Amino acid sequence: MQRFQRRFIINNLRGITDKASHVPTKLAKMGYRDKTCLVHKRQKTFKFYSIHLFTLCLMVLVIMGNTPTPTPDPNVVRPYETTAYRRLIVYKGPGETHPQADILNAGIPVTIIERNHTGNWVRVVRKTEDGTVAMDGWVISAFLNQDENMKFSQVPVNRSLPDHIPENIQDGLSIAELYSLPVMPEVSDEMIEIYKRGQFLGNHSNVITKVGDSLSASDKYLTIFAHEDYDLGPYDYLEDTLNYYGASVSGTNVASRIGLSTYVVFDPLWADKELCLPNESPLDCEYRIKQPSVSFILFGPNDVRSMTEVEYGEQMRMIVEATLERGIIPVVFTFSSDPDVELWWQSINFNREIKTIAEEYKIPVINLWVATRLLPDYGLDIDGIHLAHSGYFYLKFSYGDEAFYGVTLQNLLALRMLDEIRKTVGIDINGDPT
Amino acid sequence: MIRLFLLIALVLGMTACDTPAEQADPADMVIQYMQAKIDGDKDTLAGLLCADLESTLTREAQSFATVDAVLEDATCTSEGDVVTCTGAIVADYGGEDTEFPLTSYRVVQEDGAWKWCGEAG
Repeated sequence: MQRFQRRFIINNLRGITDKASHVPTKLAKMGYRDKTCLVHKRQKTFKFYSIHLFTLCLMVLVIMGNTPTPTPDPNVVRPYETTAYRRLIVYKGPGETHPQADILNAGIPVTIIERNHTGNWVRVVRKTEDGTVAMDGWVISAFLNQDENMKFSQVPVNRSLPDHIPENIQDGLSIAELYSLPVMPEVSDEMIEIYKRGQFLGNHSNVITKVGDSLSASDKYLTIFAHEDYDLGPYDYLEDTLNYYGASVSGTNVASRIGLSTYVVFDPLWADKELCLPNESPLDCEYRIKQPSVSFILFGPNDVRSMTEVEYGEQMRMIVEATLERGIIPVVFTFSSDPDVELWWQSINFNREIKTIAEEYKIPVINLWVATRLLPDYGLDIDGIHLAHSGYFYLKFSYGDEAFYGVTLQNLLALRMLDEIRKTVGIDINGDPT
Repeated sequence: MIRLFLLIALVLGMTACDTPAEQADPADMVIQYMQAKIDGDKDTLAGLLCADLESTLTREAQSFATVDAVLEDATCTSEGDVVTCTGAIVADYGGEDTEFPLTSYRVVQEDGAWKWCGEAG
């Protein structure tokens, strides 16, 4: 409002000034050639304009003085009305294992009233003209038309509904077990203690790193947090977190390499000889160099081809323990897999190991496996191993790519996890531990 | 007498053919170790790994399990208990080559044979 008033005044002042400056030209056109007369007429004309200018300014000042300038209250929730751009199944909860509630056809206006804990599902309501609720349920937010006014910071969070109802899974107990793990975990008290211990050991609260195979080595995953451009779309509330951690993921990473496995991450032969000490493993080297507070760990797509789930579990435990020992919060991922491939059940067993380990050590696990179930090809690239990428070399969530590409979803979940950690351990937006 | 002499000569000859590792060049042992690591040959690695690193045997055998790797231009020379190598292990993963340069390694004599015992610090 203030901005509008200011612009209004400036525009009017400019308009009058412009008119005044053109007075001589106008007078000349009217045939006033006598200089004295011209001056006189000019003076009269300026007097005329000056009076109007003065009056106008007075009026504007009075209006400004009397009109209270409304300041947007960040705590006030503004319902955001939108439409779906494709036909959607509406569920009774924020996940596809909840019962179906309705169908939302493209173009039908709905109002967003809640979002889930993870942040990528929203509850939408459609009311008839007389106010009767005609539809009420949950959809993936990425399938809704959105503009710059769609801000999830203004949408209340529903933490009471689970992501999934495993009892509704008909594909076997192993699959149901994976669905019982939330996509986005809470941060445990144990991890708050680990964070504090890390600070005592000299770890940097705003430094994060990644550990893993080619899925982690990709510069499109996590590394792009450091890119100066970003477009968070409706996830505006993640901006402080991005700015806080983003710069730390630029540069070399010695613990995420193509071909790395849960065994090899301990093998000094795989360590960067220019950065690492003799007999130092890639994992030890990365942690020594960076001293991060959070480490994103993703192994499985490679390991599943060369070891048993027992070996995988043992190695993952060693990685988790090595991370915790250094006061670093390990954030582990389950990994996506395709039911049509030979190693499907093996990958299910590997992911169940991750779940078990996360529960044992009370470490956060991002359930990427579940989160990718609704994505085309489960978020996987054509090779069925790596995650598909949108093509953008900076974070971009305004096109809803998180519902189509595994890497975009992975980045969103990682950033959302960091937001959860940052707020839980008590880091304010200026980066001061509280 | 002649038969006895021949028998002794034969035994000595056989012993000489089966050269113990302690008499072999540790540089050759390191190259043999690296090749076994690339091949994931656990039995050979077990025979060449020093006692201190026995617990890492499975890890050593798994090192290149998920990639195709070859030893390229490997040359080693020994000096005391350190073997210094040049060349590299080149691993191919999905058409992309990753190079692991060889470095200096510590070797120890155990049970009368040279054993690989990690990188030289």
